[in-house]
Amino acid sequence: MKFDRRQFLRASTMAGIAAGLPALNPRFFVSDALAASGKPLTFLSAENLTGNWDPSSHTTLAQINLESFVFGYLTRAPMRPDNPDELVMELATDMKIVDEHTIEFQLRQGVTFHDGKPFGAEDVKATYEYASQPDRPAQWYPGPCKVEIVDDHKVRVKTDEYNYPASLFWFLSAFLPIMSAKDVADGTALSARPNGTGAFKFGRQEGNTTVLEAFDDFYLGKPKLPGINFSFVGDATTRTLALLSGEADLIERLEAEQVDTIEAKGGFALNKAVSVENKYLWFRCSKPPFNDWRLRRAACHAIDRSVILDILGVSGHPSNAFISPVKFGYVDTPNYPDYDPDQCQRFLEEAGFPKGEGLPELEYITSVGFYPKTKEYGEVITAMLQEQGFPVTLNVMEVAAWNERLYDRPGGGPGHMIDCGWSTGSPEPDLVLRTHFHSSSKRICGIEDPDIDAVLDKERNAVDPAERKRIIQEEVMPLLAERTPAFSLFTSVFIHAMREDLKGMYIYPNGMMDANQADFS
Amino acid sequence: MFILGFLCRRLFQGIVIIFLVTFLIFTLLRVVPGDPARLIVGGMAPDEVVAEKAKELGLHDPIPLQFVRYLGDLVQGDLGNSFIRPKSGASFGGSAYDDPTRGERAEVLGLIVDHLPLTLQLAALAILFSLLISLPLGIAGGLNPGRWQDRLAFFSGSIFVSVPNFWLGIVLSLLFSVKLGWLPSIGYKGFIYTVLPALVLAIEVAPFVIRTLTVSLAQVMQEEFIAIAPIRGLSRWRIVMAHALRNASVPVMNLFGIQLGTLLGGVLVVEYIFDYPGLGLLTINAVLQRDFPLIQGIAICISAIFVIINIIVDLAATAVDPRLEY
Repeated sequence: MKFDRRQFLRASTMAGIAAGLPALNPRFFVSDALAASGKPLTFLSAENLTGNWDPSSHTTLAQINLESFVFGYLTRAPMRPDNPDELVMELATDMKIVDEHTIEFQLRQGVTFHDGKPFGAEDVKATYEYASQPDRPAQWYPGPCKVEIVDDHKVRVKTDEYNYPASLFWFLSAFLPIMSAKDVADGTALSARPNGTGAFKFGRQEGNTTVLEAFDDFYLGKPKLPGINFSFVGDATTRTLALLSGEADLIERLEAEQVDTIEAKGGFALNKAVSVENKYLWFRCSKPPFNDWRLRRAACHAIDRSVILDILGVSGHPSNAFISPVKFGYVDTPNYPDYDPDQCQRFLEEAGFPKGEGLPELEYITSVGFYPKTKEYGEVITAMLQEQGFPVTLNVMEVAAWNERLYDRPGGGPGHMIDCGWSTGSPEPDLVLRTHFHSSSKRICGIEDPDIDAVLDKERNAVDPAERKRIIQEEVMPLLAERTPAFSLFTSVFIHAMREDLKGMYIYPNGMMDANQADFS
Repeated sequence: MFILGFLCRRLFQGIVIIFLVTFLIFTLLRVVPGDPARLIVGGMAPDEVVAEKAKELGLHDPIPLQFVRYLGDLVQGDLGNSFIRPKSGASFGGSAYDDPTRGERAEVLGLIVDHLPLTLQLAALAILFSLLISLPLGIAGGLNPGRWQDRLAFFSGSIFVSVPNFWLGIVLSLLFSVKLGWLPSIGYKGFIYTVLPALVLAIEVAPFVIRTLTVSLAQVMQEEFIAIAPIRGLSRWRIVMAHALRNASVPVMNLFGIQLGTLLGGVLVVEYIFDYPGLGLLTINAVLQRDFPLIQGIAICISAIFVIINIIVDLAATAVDPRLEY
């Protein structure tokens, strides 16, 4: 029988295929990931995580959102427009202000951490005393504090040693994730994986996806969703396509045209809410030339915010203050800088740079992919500033690279202006005002102004809430509007889109979420 | 013996090319703005921490000295560590400089090895699709010069080459995933997720193959040995498939070697649009995050792939047409 090389090649190829067939995994070709029943929720985040799970180590909103699934809080603040001051008890069952420097929390019993450790007073003590230290990067706390353990499930947070009112922890209790005392004692464990009392526990990290699993021993009962896949997808169009095609169940940070597309397709629910987030143009106040408040004011008067709102469409809401309208103490500030080229030129001249002459090259840094339309309105702001004589260059960066350049540092942060929003899950205004404008924190702008420090200390130390509100509205806001360490451009409208059959999700005005009652109906 | 000599010569040339690419990328990344030490320790670190890190990394040494040190690591298979990515896979952006996890940075080689197979899978399927599109059009056009088949090949190639890949990716995703629900498009949960991105890449590569094949086949069909083939008793099918196409395939194969650049460029855009977790998406994120060691590692890896594929193409061309000597 003749057997030439062609026949040999043919026969050996067929033999190879025959041998490989039994090993062929059909799931390699078709995944069951699209099966709807009992599947985990896939959420596409617009921002990356930090890679460090210690909640006091960062201010990254995506990670704060993830923490809202994993960690427990003493209370939660739904911040509904009709009742913005409402607090819902979570790990606390009751709270009361004992005196000017003491607030007492009665804690819930029968709660456990994901590693099995029972929750108790020592965890609140460890969390508050550790995370309130001035060297913690997040800086959410109004100052250091001491926690007295009354019994296993009752604590008193005391601020007398540091001389500020304990009532500041009233609203803050809704925003400070409670860590395990065991983890706090071992810093490496705290950074290595998140361990809370929330409805979902950390499973694993798969590239850009954090896999969370339902926590069987959650104190309100095991959640109906088996888990949450929390993925970073930086591009808004890709996030929209993923939702429309069924790859994602819930997405965030949508732009106007994407909202139109989703509404036109049908089968999806939209969640639009005026958020706690204001978007700011932050000046680097700790270095020239923006260490001169007159130059900052000149820049503010060069910017026409109505054009920015036109660009944003449904994603922006007008506001004339340094905090969002859903925060305690908001006021439509009378002297908030308006678009006024004459004023701009006057302040430029007073600062020693008539028509912008003599100013160094200025760098304005912004991000793309996370916040809506940053590049578009960044270009407009750049053009408006250039029109008045500011030699500005816009530097558009990917979110993680921008994040690395965000904060103030000795000698001033990178660039001269940077775009960023600030969103915190509590009506407490000092999470913005003190964090950014008091010289003890000055996270982004780096401002050190004794007058601003004085009014911020005055409002913080006011015991009566009505008096505190008055100081914020009549003294803090006007002074900030005069010195403008940052320029609040607008309040964000948070737009989430989700599958229509996803029920029971609660989305807080800062983007944090609660999925313990969520399910696909 | 010829093969051995050929391989040695081409591999030596390839090593020289990779060396030059490495030097170029290494130098460019060190002269562009951006402080690697600042990237590593993070935005909130004080200047003295940055200075300490810069000293530790030897960033103040002259570039040639840094390059020699890098080459020393490279020959041992060490491409360095990412500036941005920790071992867990997430990103460092926004975390504090003194976080313990900042010390646990992912190895560049590991990141490339994790992502490369998905890109190779995408590229292979894209080549398969491009052949499925190009061969019928190109052969029909080449066999019928001046007739409607030729014009069809020309016009379809013109349309394909004019369509931007990012636009096509979004449109195909809207059509096949959103409207029809036939194919998934975003992310990667199985082989099926490769189909749409591969189709976009195939349409990008196909016009060059169609045009080259049409012209090449039309020329070969004019040759004397084709004209006399029927006299030898060969069927039309055999003349075309075994003789004309074999001779016409040499320029197409060479074109494939060159088109690899287009393919790799297309992978960047296509993987980003489809959130396909291959080398393209890794590259885009590395560039946007100014993750220099990762950019460097990927560039070296891609140049090595480019060199190897071109050697294989030349070998294949020699096997098809023994008259060729490289």
